[in-house]
Amino acid sequence: MAKLNRRQFMTGAAVVAGASSVRISPALSADSRIEISSTWGADKPFQKVVDAFNAKKLGVTVVNRFDGDYESAVAKAVASIAAGRPPAMMITGWKFGYFAKRTLGARDLHEIDAAKADTIIANFRPSVLPLVTIDGSVIGLPWAMSTPITFINSTLWKEAGLDPVLPENPDTEWLYAAARQLDIKLKGKNGTYRSALALSNNEWTSQSFIQNAGGFIIDPVGKLAVDSPEAVAGMEQYCAPAHEGLWLPVSDKEQDAAFESGALAICTTSSTRAASFPLGGAKAITAKFPGLPGHARKMNSGGNFIAVYTKNQEQAAASLAFLEFCASKEGQTIWSKVGYLNTSLHDIPLINDFMKPAAEQLKDGLTAETIWPGKRGLEGQTIWRKWVSRMLLKEVSVADGMKGAHDELLALVSA
Amino acid sequence: MNRRSFSVAKLLAPYLFVGPAVIAVAIFLYGPILGSAVLSAFDWNLLSSDVRFVGFANYKAMLESADFRLSMWNTVLYCVILIPAEIIIPLILALMLHSVRGSWLAPVYRGMLFLPTILAFSVAGVTWSWLLNPVNGLFNEILIGFGFPPSRWHTDPELALLCVSMVTFWKTFGLNMLLWLAALANVPRSLREASKLDGASRWQFFWTIELAMIAPTGFFISITTLFHILDDIVGVIDVLTAGGPAGRSSSILYFLWQQGMRFFQFGQASAVAMIIIAMVLLISWMQFHIGEKQVHYE
Repeated sequence: MAKLNRRQFMTGAAVVAGASSVRISPALSADSRIEISSTWGADKPFQKVVDAFNAKKLGVTVVNRFDGDYESAVAKAVASIAAGRPPAMMITGWKFGYFAKRTLGARDLHEIDAAKADTIIANFRPSVLPLVTIDGSVIGLPWAMSTPITFINSTLWKEAGLDPVLPENPDTEWLYAAARQLDIKLKGKNGTYRSALALSNNEWTSQSFIQNAGGFIIDPVGKLAVDSPEAVAGMEQYCAPAHEGLWLPVSDKEQDAAFESGALAICTTSSTRAASFPLGGAKAITAKFPGLPGHARKMNSGGNFIAVYTKNQEQAAASLAFLEFCASKEGQTIWSKVGYLNTSLHDIPLINDFMKPAAEQLKDGLTAETIWPGKRGLEGQTIWRKWVSRMLLKEVSVADGMKGAHDELLALVSA
Repeated sequence: MNRRSFSVAKLLAPYLFVGPAVIAVAIFLYGPILGSAVLSAFDWNLLSSDVRFVGFANYKAMLESADFRLSMWNTVLYCVILIPAEIIIPLILALMLHSVRGSWLAPVYRGMLFLPTILAFSVAGVTWSWLLNPVNGLFNEILIGFGFPPSRWHTDPELALLCVSMVTFWKTFGLNMLLWLAALANVPRSLREASKLDGASRWQFFWTIELAMIAPTGFFISITTLFHILDDIVGVIDVLTAGGPAGRSSSILYFLWQQGMRFFQFGQASAVAMIIIAMVLLISWMQFHIGEKQVHYE
């Protein structure tokens, strides 16, 4: 057996150690595997964004984990954070902004890598950045944005003798008159027609009406303002078609099913439906969301951001690499197929002309959906929805309903 | 094995056999109950470093909440509607099935009636929401076809609770029906033959002999039906009405789930959980106290 002296042994050991370190270094980054908790499954364009990023083999592999709707994803995140294993990234609804920052610990992108964060953020319209800036920190990528617009069943519209040229800025007077004409001409006479209008029974479209009437749910200084005369006037207009019998408030899923089957003539809902409604049985045409006569339009938006939650620096750096791709023109182009608005500065064509009213509303300027403040802010949405339902069902008058909502919400947001 | 080690093994054997089950119950049942009891005295969302001891404030807040009281009242109504329905109707169906035993149709009927029980809540909920859709659901199309005005079904505050009850019943009656059927199959045939010889009618046989023989199963069903109604309603509410309209179809367990998993108010959710535990214990004790005296065991 050959004998090694001490020098030969040390040299050999140094070579082996050096070689090992050279091999370990790339292996670590090559093995960076980060999980993103999302609200979209493998059949959605988001998976294509993930796949396109992984195909680049940048040493980071992203795994898209479908975790249900925003609420379910957040509930799972709470459990995993409590167990000390937060998801590296999560698709988080705008409405969870405060909760994401203050409770879930969404990280300031600048704190991870200031230079890279600035490069990423520079790809987006400055107007959308306040949506992801919570307590002075940029906590995510302004990823998905939609706004409510009006979808009209073109066949029923034509059959009722209504003008197929839609106004550029429709208002409630025009919309409700059209709904009445649809009912007069088609009710009981058309095989599929059952109802004229649906404005979506949720907190989102009711907020649009309040804002279009010049009011606020929460005013710019953070004060609850649902009992203001403007807010009450907006809600009066929102509830009017339900009280008149033109609108049967149902869930979003039931509303979509009714519209697609030709039972519902007009439907105001998320602009993302522009990717499906015009191509289905309803052959939908689109217009902007109705404003209120004599008032300036002030539309709102909803959607989500991608936030980084991992405390591990290597995982956080890998997350930024993915966000960089998401912010790029390539990432945004793949993503645009889902029907969300283009929040980036890249020149990306609309997926179809039916998206034009939504793009116009974005150009006019969009506010965020209500982000309920306070430790118990998450209850705000449910309480507001409850009072909206009561007003739609005429269980309370609009004035009493808005006062009731104000009183209940005030206790909540000041907690 | 010597005598000493044999006696030690004999001494330890019961503990070794029962031990795993006791440990599992302690960890997964009593542990969480104890944890909930402690958590109900705190204001904490499991993540925040802001943990405050609030004593009974969570209980007070819940008892003062109009939504809590409404969901509690709804739960009472659900129990009043569903407990008798889930006991009596499956018994009638089981008697009908039992009367055709031996026929090739018996397993077909049994399978058809049991099928909804094994269906996922999500599938059942979506299917029923299509049927009940107030705009163009099948039920309204039938009403309109017969010249009746359409109904708002589960979006009508007056009907929402009944719609949830109907779907819950459809989804869950199959298990009780099978239990009744098994009990009926165990009634000795000789008793039926003897009663026939004595001139008893089918109704007299059922009322005076068969019902007494299946009473232990009836007692078991009455206890478990309360539990699974409380539990199963949540799935139906979640997919059909989300507690609406305006909380009119919510239940106490759905309210608990909202507090915990939607709003992350774990202190208040735990307080609701403790109230539910106390209620269920009280009702179960009453059921045992009153019901067991009526039950005849062989």
